[in-house]
Amino acid sequence: MEPLAKGRDMANTSHGVGGLSYDAKKRTRPPELNVLAALILIILAFELLGQLVVGDSFLFNTRENVDTLFNEQRLQIIILQVAIVGIIALGVTQVIITGGIDLSSGSIVGITAMVTMSFAQVAIVNGNPNPKAIFGDAWMDLPVIVPLLVGLAVGLFAGFVNGALIAYTRIPPFIATLGMMVAARGCAKWWSKGNPISFPTESYAAIGKGMMPVLIFVCLAVLFHLIMTQTKYGKHCYAIGSNEQAARMSGINVTGHKVLVYTIASALAALAAIVLSSKNLTAQAGMGVMYELDAIAMAVIGGVSLQGGRGSIIGTCLGALIFGVIISGFTFLKLDAYYQEMVKGVIIVGAVVLDQWRQTKRGRG
Amino acid sequence: MKKALLVAGFAALMSTSAMAEGIGVSMARFDDNFLTVLRNGIQAQADAGGLSVQIEDAQDDVAKQLDQINNFIASGVTAIIVNPVDTSATQAMTDAAAAAGVPLVYVNRQPINVDTLPDNQAFVASNETESSSKGVTEQCRLWAEGGKTEVSVYVMQGQLSNQAAVQRTQNIYDVIESGNCPVKINVIDQQTANWSRDEAQNLMTNWLSTGAAFDGVIANNDEMALGALQALKAAGIDMASVLVSGVDATQDALASMQAGELDITVFQNAAAQGGGALDAAVKLAAGEAVEQKVYVPFELVTPANIADYLAKN
Repeated sequence: MEPLAKGRDMANTSHGVGGLSYDAKKRTRPPELNVLAALILIILAFELLGQLVVGDSFLFNTRENVDTLFNEQRLQIIILQVAIVGIIALGVTQVIITGGIDLSSGSIVGITAMVTMSFAQVAIVNGNPNPKAIFGDAWMDLPVIVPLLVGLAVGLFAGFVNGALIAYTRIPPFIATLGMMVAARGCAKWWSKGNPISFPTESYAAIGKGMMPVLIFVCLAVLFHLIMTQTKYGKHCYAIGSNEQAARMSGINVTGHKVLVYTIASALAALAAIVLSSKNLTAQAGMGVMYELDAIAMAVIGGVSLQGGRGSIIGTCLGALIFGVIISGFTFLKLDAYYQEMVKGVIIVGAVVLDQWRQTKRGRG
Repeated sequence: MKKALLVAGFAALMSTSAMAEGIGVSMARFDDNFLTVLRNGIQAQADAGGLSVQIEDAQDDVAKQLDQINNFIASGVTAIIVNPVDTSATQAMTDAAAAAGVPLVYVNRQPINVDTLPDNQAFVASNETESSSKGVTEQCRLWAEGGKTEVSVYVMQGQLSNQAAVQRTQNIYDVIESGNCPVKINVIDQQTANWSRDEAQNLMTNWLSTGAAFDGVIANNDEMALGALQALKAAGIDMASVLVSGVDATQDALASMQAGELDITVFQNAAAQGGGALDAAVKLAAGEAVEQKVYVPFELVTPANIADYLAKN
């Protein structure tokens, strides 16, 4: 057996199965490659179906008025439509890797959007006073930093409550975040008594304009990829998710780390809410319903294990792309939404079944 | 523990006695713009008459709504107003209220048993078959005026399980078949965006990526029309070249119309429906006879008459 815990070896042994040494023969190809292969397969399937069924190309440009090789508009919307839930999925990935779950992110999107938009309103709309004004004139036309900070504060607070409940009272994450999911949705409806909040300032509207959601998503994905792979924080996430007792024994502050993970996850949900409300120029109490499940599904499709300890930000990003390709693909084929949901369900379950199968095979080998 | 239970029991008792003599309202959901205006209409009318109302959120759950109605009956309300979650699940609600002798008023969504309601029950709403037909007919007129004979359109549907979405979409085809439309309408594609602005924005962008030429978008509600408009704007499409119509005349939609983007919407008088429902409930509770079906008309809103509607929603 090789000596433990030295630089590179540490990186190879602290992942997942808690193996004691690094054995090159036992190393399988990274699960992200499988997800990537699935993504490419799905794209090819749509390309083929497109040629057969609607006589058009999914990827390549066939429009006469546009002069590009690829259908760039379609490639853009594929990412754009999943970027916001993708931001949430980045946080959810970290939570799941530590062996937890976060059901509250969709509701946190709701309450954060409502609160944030209240601080981002303009006083005058088309020459009339803002018909959706929440606060008095003194609170109108604030600099964009105010709603941003308020929104982030809401997310940090909600996440801290989640984390503290889980870490200190030791109740299961499922219950703690379920409670937050219901309570935060109640807050979102209560905030303006169910009324939508609209008409933000131009600087606030700029946050989610055009491809900005994608840019924000990509930057955050890169940032958290580095954090999860290069920092102590990331290693501790994997360690706690693989074996919480062992992590505690080896001196990791599990309690503190959990609070941090849930706080980060909710802060990301809050960021998603800011981008979402800015992109749509409105905030509504019903915003973000089911986002938590979409985010979890993206992570799971991307190879993040609900048992904890396994998965990566790259995998989740690929999972998000699969979602985007499916939505655009079905619209492209002019198939109704019913089928879209059916296929989404099949893919989520299929991904986990495949992953499970791969796991047992590896366990035996 | 015993003490806690006792206290809880008393609290429950007190809240029930406070509720008696009041009117119970069960709304399909609290986070829907339109239903919020309607809810505010009920509240405003109640405040004006010095009545107490208790408004519950059924959260789009048929079973929860029936429970709420039974709870209202148990706590001795004088009348109940129901905004049904599912219009085909109203018979049980009618039966429960009728058995207890409590008057019941359905609001906004037409119950399936509307023709067999007992004497102390009523229905206040707008006739959904008018809703999008008014908008589409106007759209037809504008296309004809612009010299078109044949147009291609996209249709955005609300939630597929929702009756209003089904009806508003059906209305479009009814107008096409009725011969009241001077231009020939070809529907390129019809998809759901679940009433949501964000989903509509994504859907429109997906449609734009196919590059098909089109003359307009017909949306089941304003939120989706606004989502479509935002996508069109982002793609740099000339607002004058497409006609977009919605339904509801929300504040956001009216602001968009003022800015020269949204072309047509249809106003459904939510506040009048809410107020009307409360009036009917009060009269029924007092034993007076009321009209069993009260229809509040839909009204067409265009840039020409927008000023009349700015303060209505």
